[in-house]
Amino acid sequence: MPGAVAGRLDGELVVGGQRAGHDPQALVARQVGIVFQDPESQLVMERVDDEVAFGLESLGWPAPEMRARVPEALAGLGLAGFARRRTARLSGGEQQRLAIAGVLAPGPGVLVLDEPTANLDPDGTRELAARLAAMRADRSSTIVLVEHRADLVWPLADLVLALGADGRPIALGPPEVLLERHATQLAAAGVWLPDVPGREPSALGPTAPVSGPAGGRPFVEARGIGFAWDRARPILRGIDLELAMGDRVALLGPNGAGKSTLGRIVGGLLRPTAGTMRLAGGDPVRLPARELARLVGYVFQDPERQFVAATVRAEMEAGLDARGRAGVAEVAATLGLPLDAFGERSPYSLSGGEQRRLSLAPVLARRPGLLVLDEPTYGQDRHGYDLLVAFFRARVASGSAILVATHDLRLVADLGARPFVLTPTASGAIAA
Amino acid sequence: MIAVRAPEDRALASPIGRTSPVAKLVLVGMWMAGLALTTDPRPPLILGAIGLAASVGLGRVRLAALAAALAPLGFAALTVGFFNAVLNPANGDASLAALVSLGPIRLTAPAVGAGAAIACRVGAVAVLGIAFALTTDTTRLVDALVQRAGVPERFAYGALAAFQAIPRLAEDLVSLRDARRIRGLRASWHPRILVGLLVLAIRRADRMAVAMDARGFGSGPRSRYRVERGSWSDVAFLGAGGVILVAAMLMGR
Repeated sequence: MPGAVAGRLDGELVVGGQRAGHDPQALVARQVGIVFQDPESQLVMERVDDEVAFGLESLGWPAPEMRARVPEALAGLGLAGFARRRTARLSGGEQQRLAIAGVLAPGPGVLVLDEPTANLDPDGTRELAARLAAMRADRSSTIVLVEHRADLVWPLADLVLALGADGRPIALGPPEVLLERHATQLAAAGVWLPDVPGREPSALGPTAPVSGPAGGRPFVEARGIGFAWDRARPILRGIDLELAMGDRVALLGPNGAGKSTLGRIVGGLLRPTAGTMRLAGGDPVRLPARELARLVGYVFQDPERQFVAATVRAEMEAGLDARGRAGVAEVAATLGLPLDAFGERSPYSLSGGEQRRLSLAPVLARRPGLLVLDEPTYGQDRHGYDLLVAFFRARVASGSAILVATHDLRLVADLGARPFVLTPTASGAIAA
Repeated sequence: MIAVRAPEDRALASPIGRTSPVAKLVLVGMWMAGLALTTDPRPPLILGAIGLAASVGLGRVRLAALAAALAPLGFAALTVGFFNAVLNPANGDASLAALVSLGPIRLTAPAVGAGAAIACRVGAVAVLGIAFALTTDTTRLVDALVQRAGVPERFAYGALAAFQAIPRLAEDLVSLRDARRIRGLRASWHPRILVGLLVLAIRRADRMAVAMDARGFGSGPRSRYRVERGSWSDVAFLGAGGVILVAAMLMGR
C-alpha cells in the first residue's frame, strides 16, 4: 500500500495483476489484506460483527452477501458466537484474530501479517499460530508474515526472505535451505534463528543463572499485596514477594493478570489496596520522587511512553543533580548515542533501536538498586536483544535486583530469573 | 481503570434505545433550544424530570449508572446556580429584604430565584445529554448520521475510531506521569506530558488511518451492513416529545 506511507518505491510490485502504488487503492485493497502489530489501533467499530463488515462495506459489497460472509469469516477464526461482543472487551489474542477475520472477509489473495503476535501473551500466540497453520494447509490465500521471532514463523513458512539492515535481501529460500546455507550470515545480521539442537542458543553463551550477593534484609518486601480499582473485581490478591540485591524475578501470566500493576506497586508508582510494600525498608509510595528515582529504574515496552524531555540531552539529564549531569556524556557514549551527534535531536525522531537505548540512560546514570522492566525485549532483533541482556546482566552483577514482567521465556532464562506466575481468576490474581 | 461510560445492552434494547438516534438527537436539540429560551425554572424542572423518568422507565437505564454519570454534572449545575445567586445585581438593591446576610454577602429573593432557575436549566441540559448517551449505541449513531443526516462518511467513521481510542489516552497519561515520577520529576502536571500524549495519539491515529485505508476505506461508494430506516415509532417519539416541550414551555409563562 505504498500510497499511504511517505517514501519512495523503486522497482515494480504487482499483486494479483494490480500494480501497487499505481492502480487505485481500492483495487489493491481487494487483493491484499494487512494485519498490523497493535490490535487496538486497527479495530474501528464497537462490535465484532460490525468490525468484520467494515471492510466489506468499504469495498461496496451488497448487504445480503455481507450478511452471509460475516459469520463465515468469524467462524473461520474461531470467533463464532462473538458477533455482538464489544471489540474493546476481547482479549488481545481474540482482538488479533478479529482483525484477521476482518481483513480476510473480502477474500484477498494475499494476507500480510506485520508482527501479529506483538502484544499477545503465549496463549494468544499459540491460538494465532494454530489458525495460521490451518490457513496454510487450506491454501486459499498467500500469507506474508513479517516477524522478528523465528520460533513462531519458521515452522509455518514455505519460503523465508531475510532482509538486512540496509533493506537488501540476505537470502530467499525454503527455511531448511536458509538454515543450512546462510545461518552464520543471518545470525551476523541480527536475524533470529530457531533453536536447533547442537547450535549455540545465544551469543552470550550458556544461560546459567547470574550469581548475585546473597543474604541480608531483602531489598524488596511485599506482604499480602492486593489491588482493586473496584472492590468486586480485584486485580491482585495475597501477593508475597521478596527480592534481595542481585535477585531476578520474572512475572509471568496472561495479559490482564496484573503483571504491570504489580510492577507499578513494587516500583512505588501505585499504592496497593491491601498488604504492605517495603522498598529499602520504607514505603515507596510515600517517598519523594527524587528519593524514589535513586532506588528504582523503569524500562517500558514502548520507549515513547517514558520520554520526559524535548531533546536527547535533556532526556538524559532529567532529574539528575549537577554531578549526575556531568556524567551524561559518558552515559551517552556508552549507549552509542554520542551527544555531539544526538544531543539536540528529539527523542521521538530516533529509530526504534536508538529509542530503546535512550530509555536505558536513566538506569545507567543513577544505578538504582531495583529495575522494573515491562516487556523490555519485544520487537528487538537479535542484536538489540543481546545488548539488553548484556546491559541487565551487568546491572545484576553490580547488585541491582530485577523485576521483569514478560512473555519472553528466553529472556527469563537468559537472566536466570525466578518465575512468578500470576493467574487471573474470578477472585483476582493468585501467585502460583 | 478509566473507561468511557458505555450504554448497557439492556438500555440499548429498550424502546428509547431502539428509537432512531437521529430522532433522539433532533428531540434533544429541540428541548435544549427550548431550555435556552426560557428563564423560568418550571420548564427545565418539568423537562428534566420527564427526561429522568423516561430514561429509567422507557430507556431501562440502571439508576446507579444514571447517578454515576449525573453526579459531576449535577455538582456543576449547583455551583453555577450558587455563584449566579451570590453575584446577582439584585443583591445590591437596598429596598429588597435580605434572605441571608453574611458579612459582605447578601442574598435577596430575586437573586436566589435567578440562581435556582439557572441551576435547573444546566441540570436539565445535563440530564438530556446523559439520557441520550446512555441509551444510544455509538455505531448506530454514526450509521444513522451518515445514512439519514448526510454527515460525510470519512468524518463520521474517523470520529468513531477516535472515540474508541479514548481509553488508550487515559493509559498513556498514567504511563507518562509514572515515567516522570520515576525520574524524580514533578509528576502532577507539566507541558511535556501534553506533548507526550499528543505524540502517542498521533502515532496511534496514523496506524489507525493506515489500517482503515488498507481495508479500502474511502476508496469508493460504500455499501451498508446496517440500514437505518425511519419508522412510525420514531415519528411518534418526535411528536410526543414536541407536545411535551410545548406544554412545558407554556407552563413557564
